[in-house]
Amino acid sequence: MANDNANNATKSETAEAQLDLDPQDAAVADAVLDEEAKAIDGNNKAEGEFKRTGRMTLYVRRFFRRPSAVVGLVMLILLVIFALVGSKFGKWHYEDLDFLSLGTAPNADHWFGTTGGGSDMYAMVVRGLGRSLAIGIISSIGTTILAAIIGTSIAFFQGWVERIGMWILDMLLVVPSFLLIAMIVRSSAGMSGWLWLIFGLVAFGWIGYARVLRTLTMSLRELDYVRAAKFMGVGSFRIILRHLVPNLGSVLIINTVLGVVGAVSSETSLSFLGLGIKAPDTSLGTLLNDGQSVVLTAPWVLIFPSIVLIMVTFSVQLIGDGLRDAIDPYSRSGGKAK
Amino acid sequence: MLKYIVKRIVNYVVMLFVAVSMTYFLASAFMDPRSNYMDRHPHPPVASINHSLDLANINDQTPILVRYFRWLKAIFTRWDWGLAPDQSPVGPAIASRIWTSVELVTLATIIGIVAGVSIGVYTAIRQYKWQDRTLNIIATFFLVIPPAVLGLFVVLIAIAINNGVGTRIFYVTGLSSYQGSNPFLWLLDFLQHIILPTIVMAIPGTVSYHLTQRTYLLDSMNSDYVRTARAKGLTLNQAIRKHALRTSLIPTTVNIAFSITGVFTGAVITETVFAVNGLGRYFVTAINGNDINGSVCIAAFGGVCTLTGALLADILAAWLDPRIRLS
Repeated sequence: MANDNANNATKSETAEAQLDLDPQDAAVADAVLDEEAKAIDGNNKAEGEFKRTGRMTLYVRRFFRRPSAVVGLVMLILLVIFALVGSKFGKWHYEDLDFLSLGTAPNADHWFGTTGGGSDMYAMVVRGLGRSLAIGIISSIGTTILAAIIGTSIAFFQGWVERIGMWILDMLLVVPSFLLIAMIVRSSAGMSGWLWLIFGLVAFGWIGYARVLRTLTMSLRELDYVRAAKFMGVGSFRIILRHLVPNLGSVLIINTVLGVVGAVSSETSLSFLGLGIKAPDTSLGTLLNDGQSVVLTAPWVLIFPSIVLIMVTFSVQLIGDGLRDAIDPYSRSGGKAK
Repeated sequence: MLKYIVKRIVNYVVMLFVAVSMTYFLASAFMDPRSNYMDRHPHPPVASINHSLDLANINDQTPILVRYFRWLKAIFTRWDWGLAPDQSPVGPAIASRIWTSVELVTLATIIGIVAGVSIGVYTAIRQYKWQDRTLNIIATFFLVIPPAVLGLFVVLIAIAINNGVGTRIFYVTGLSSYQGSNPFLWLLDFLQHIILPTIVMAIPGTVSYHLTQRTYLLDSMNSDYVRTARAKGLTLNQAIRKHALRTSLIPTTVNIAFSITGVFTGAVITETVFAVNGLGRYFVTAINGNDINGSVCIAAFGGVCTLTGALLADILAAWLDPRIRLS
């Protein structure tokens, strides 16, 4: 198994690895956090202050204790700013063609060089980065929401709903989703293509993830407060939304963040193959596709989008890893509270 | 055991049928072979377009159910997967490309598994030491590089090396170019072609097996029976080798079985970058050419691979792990 598939496998594997944070460990998590809170409170007391440290504060502190996570966060913030306001500084609009400099190397006028058709690479990269980030973030959030609702519902209703639901989920996983997304997105052209791409990524991306969430919910549904809510006559969907989904909160947040990496990767792969975003719209994958044909004559067309793309995925991955370690009660990688 | 396997197979066949039918309807709804003809200027007469679409059974003016049952009948009676819009049969075209993809993927998969699992074990034993941290950062870096970027950079580096040395060490397109009959030269030529795609595909495999194997081994290293083994006087290395490692290999084995799908989807990007004419490239062409029958046939082949992997995983898991009840 190779590239994409390895990618898929990695995705599900990391999903599994991330999710070894069993919700039943929440009690342990609380205990550990309480201890840390006490330790910190103790320090404060010595100084004569009495301030309760909340869970969020602890998560934030643990997150910022990890240098790699901070580096990732700073990198991502810079990239987002670059995507939002970068076009203000460039001298060219991404749709303008400079016929006097076709395929020129980076210079004072065109900071990142130009393509063979005369498009300014700087403007294209800013534009493509914005598109790729938007697609990655929106589809990752959509995937998480869909997977959370369906995954927890299947586990909550049990019985035949669960059996049929699982069968359908397995069935949907039979045909590789990459193929189905390509089929849907291919037919849409022009500026609405990116919306279709998001639709495709969400419509076929939630399935494996919903399976994992169902496994986690199976231990949640046996908890006393869920049973109590059931006996009190609280409606099923209310229980799912109010009691089950929030308890998977940390898992969902981590997976939304790491899901961005997968979504950006899928987007660039599809666009690179010419099956995703197409001209006149542009994304980092489309730029890679342009760069492929001029690897030898104009390597800057390939190199700048690649660097930006790696920075995006790498920073998001660092943030995701940092969040996981901040939320995971067993993690010792960040050192201990002083 | 046999009953269990038969039950699974029946379930998987039903699953495959439903999934492929769903793909057929999806493809028919979203792909528009008529536009292949209508986009030409001037476009051919409508009657002749209809005629060629009818021949391939992809005319959107025929009701979808009629087309679907015709398509099913051809497969079940003659094992005929239909025609592409240009009237070339789909089945043989795919069959002839399977071997190319297998050739391309096998070596990379094996390297990925061996290297990945070894690194995973090595780092798990040294958790949070500098070796673990360094390898982890490298793995994270390669994990997030999109396959297209990785492939294109390997091409760039290979061309730079070729230019630097002055002779052609690496070929960046195709799988073979040697025409003679000397087996040694043929092998050399084959290696010169296969080495770059293999590197491109082995890296993500290695990284993913490394990270998962590390997690699995750490999980079992913290379990009670390993602690018991340590308490009875085994050294850490003995305890890991005799007790922890064996259990941690079960999930990895299951993953390897699932990796069979890779024969087909795995190499789409790599085949495009290195211009190898395998299944991945066929898929891209089929989608771009509005080839409904071709895309569905590829999807069916992908489904068969997935389910074969799933079945193997079921059997291996049941065989390796006595706790899985076979009922």
